[in-house]
Amino acid sequence: MARKHEKPSWYPLDNAGVLYSAIQKDQYSAVYRFSALMTEPVDPAALQRAVEKTMPRFPGFGVRLRRGVFWCYFEPNPNPGPFVKQDMANPCQPIRFHEDNDWLIRILYYEKRISLEVFHAVSDGAGSVVFLRTLLAVYLRELGCQIPNGDGVLDITQPPRREELEDAYTRYAGNRVLRGKLEKTAFPNVSPPEPFYTLNVTMGMVPLDHLREVARGYQATITEYLTAVILQCLLENQAARHFRHPQPVALAIPINLRPWFPTETLRNFILTMRPSIDPTLGEYTLPEIVRQVQNYMRLHTNRQEMRAKFTGNVRFTTNRFLQIVPLVLKNPVMAFSYHLVGVRPFSGTYTNPGVFQVPQEMEPHIQRMEVMLGQATRPSPHCASISYGNTMVITFAGTGTSSETERRFFTHLVRDGLPVKVESNRTR
Amino acid sequence: MSYCVNCGVELDATASFCPLCHTPVCNPNQPVDETSPKPFPTERKEVPPASKLQGAILISTILASVAVCCGVLNYFLRTQRIWCLYVIGAALMIWIWTVPPLLHHKKDTFRLQLLADILAIAVYVSLIAVDLDGWDWYWHLALPIILLLGALFFFWGLTLGPGKRSTLTSITLVVGSIGVFATGVERFLDLFFRGSWSPSWSLIVLAVCVILIIPLTVVRRVPALREEVRRRFHL
Repeated sequence: MARKHEKPSWYPLDNAGVLYSAIQKDQYSAVYRFSALMTEPVDPAALQRAVEKTMPRFPGFGVRLRRGVFWCYFEPNPNPGPFVKQDMANPCQPIRFHEDNDWLIRILYYEKRISLEVFHAVSDGAGSVVFLRTLLAVYLRELGCQIPNGDGVLDITQPPRREELEDAYTRYAGNRVLRGKLEKTAFPNVSPPEPFYTLNVTMGMVPLDHLREVARGYQATITEYLTAVILQCLLENQAARHFRHPQPVALAIPINLRPWFPTETLRNFILTMRPSIDPTLGEYTLPEIVRQVQNYMRLHTNRQEMRAKFTGNVRFTTNRFLQIVPLVLKNPVMAFSYHLVGVRPFSGTYTNPGVFQVPQEMEPHIQRMEVMLGQATRPSPHCASISYGNTMVITFAGTGTSSETERRFFTHLVRDGLPVKVESNRTR
Repeated sequence: MSYCVNCGVELDATASFCPLCHTPVCNPNQPVDETSPKPFPTERKEVPPASKLQGAILISTILASVAVCCGVLNYFLRTQRIWCLYVIGAALMIWIWTVPPLLHHKKDTFRLQLLADILAIAVYVSLIAVDLDGWDWYWHLALPIILLLGALFFFWGLTLGPGKRSTLTSITLVVGSIGVFATGVERFLDLFFRGSWSPSWSLIVLAVCVILIIPLTVVRRVPALREEVRRRFHL
C-alpha cells in the first residue's frame, strides 16, 4: 500500500518542453548558455565539487529525457556527472540524447569564465539563472568565501521544494483559448551557413547607465529600445538586398510569465511576443519603431491575453485524441507546425533576462554576466542581453557567415553615443 | 586599447581584426596582444555530423526481411508462379528510393539518384514482364514511358526549385511539360497498339496546356498585368 502513495520519479514535460523535444535533431537543439566572468581564473576541481553539491538541490536539472510511446518524459538521471569540461570555440553544440551520459545540461570553464548550457526543455532562462547563481555561490564557498543564502541563492542543504518542479502552464491554464491567425512570413535574415557545427558569437559590452539614459531619451525601457534597434537593423538588412516584395521584420521576444502568474517553478514558464514592422507601409524612423514596439508590448502583455494564449498550448498536450497518437507520428507534425508558427513568422529572437542580482558578498568575485542563445533552425543570428553591475552584455550568436546584423546594431549604438566594446570568437 | 576605424567600437587587445566589419587592426601605439588569452576559447570541439546510418540499416533490414520471407514462402505457396518477384522487386525499388539519399544527401548526387530511381522502376516493371512473359509491351511501351517520365523529372529537377524560377514561370514549365508528356504517352500507345501515330486525346491535353501557358506567359512578361492579377487575387 505504501508503494501506491510513492511519488513517481518521472514527470511529463511542460508544453514548451514538448515542443523543444519534438524539434530536437542530431543537427539542432534548443540550447542556451549563461556565463559568469569571474575576477580570478576558474578552479575546475572546486567547480566540480560545487556542481556535485548543487545538483541534488535542483532535481529538475539532473534529469534525462526518455521517449515514451506517446510522449517524452523526464526521469532522474542515474549516470555519473555532469562533469565540468573545458570550454570550446563552438559553443551551444546540439545535445544528443544518449550521449554525454544523457545529461541535458553542460558546465564549462575557460580562463575566468564559468558557463552553463541548458537544453530548453529542462528550464527557461529565469530557472537557469537561479541554478547558476546558486552554483556560483557554492563554487565561491569552495574557494573559501563566505557567501550567505538568500537574494536568489538557494540553500543547498535544504531538500528541493515541490513547487520548483511544478508545471506552471497547467496550473494557470484557464478555460478560454486565444487562437491567433497564422502570422505573415517575416524576412528570414539568413546568410550562407558556416560548416557544421560553427556558432559565430559577437558580444558587445555597454555601460548600463549610459544605455538607460539613451533609452530614456526615446521614453522607452532598455528592452524596448534594443528591440527597436534590432528591428531597424533587420529593416536595413532587408533594404540592402533590394527585394521586390519586402517582408515584415519581426522578433520573437520571450516573456517571463512569473511576474503575472506567481510561481516558484524552475521549469519553463515563458510566452513569446511578436513585435513587428511592415516596411511595405512606408519608412519608419527609430523613434517610430520604438513607439510601435512599446505600444505592441503594452497592448499584449496582460494577464488575460497571455493566459488565453498558453491555455491553447496546454490544451494541445491534454487533448484526448492527441494523447493516443504515437510520438513518431506526433513529432513530425509538431516540428512542421513549429516551423509555421515559431520560425517562419520571425526574423530572429531577442531575449533580455534583465539584471543578474547576487548577494553583496558575491559581487567582488564576478566581473560580468553573459547570455547567449544557441543556433537557430536556420543560419540567422539570435540576440540576448543581460546586465550585471554597470555592464550590459549584448550577444549575437548564429550559424551564418555574415556579421552584417551585428555591425549595424553595434554601430547604431555607437552613433547613439554609447561606448561599445566588442569581443568575438570569429576567426575570419 | 584599439578602436575600429570603421565601426567606432572598442576592440579586445587580442583582436587582430574587427569582428563586425573585418577591418584589420593597425595601431602603432598598441600592437595586437598575441600573448594574452583570447576572450573565447580557440580550440574547436568537433561535433560529429549526424549519421543517418541507423535509419538506413533499419529500412534495409525491414525490406530485406520482407523480401527473404516472401522468397521462402514462394517455395510453399502457389509455387507454379514466381509471385515473390513482385515483392522482392518492390522492396528493391523502395530501397533504392530511400536508402542512398539517406546516406548521401547532397545536391550534386541528384542526377545520379534520379537515374537510379528511374532504373529501379524500369527493373521492377521488367520483373512483371518476366512473370507475365510480356517483353514485347515492356520494350515498346513500358520502358519508353518510364524513360519519358524520367526525362520529365530530370527537366523539373534542373529548372524548378526554390529560388530558381518565379512561381509563374514554374507553373508554365510544369503545365508545358505535362502537355509534352501526354503527347509522348499517346504516341507510344498508338505505335504499340496501332502501328502508327494518330494524335487524338493528347491534342486536347496539349491544347489545354497551351491555353494555360499563353496567359501565364503574358502575365509573366507584362508587369502591369502581373500587378493587376496580384491585386485581383489578393496575392
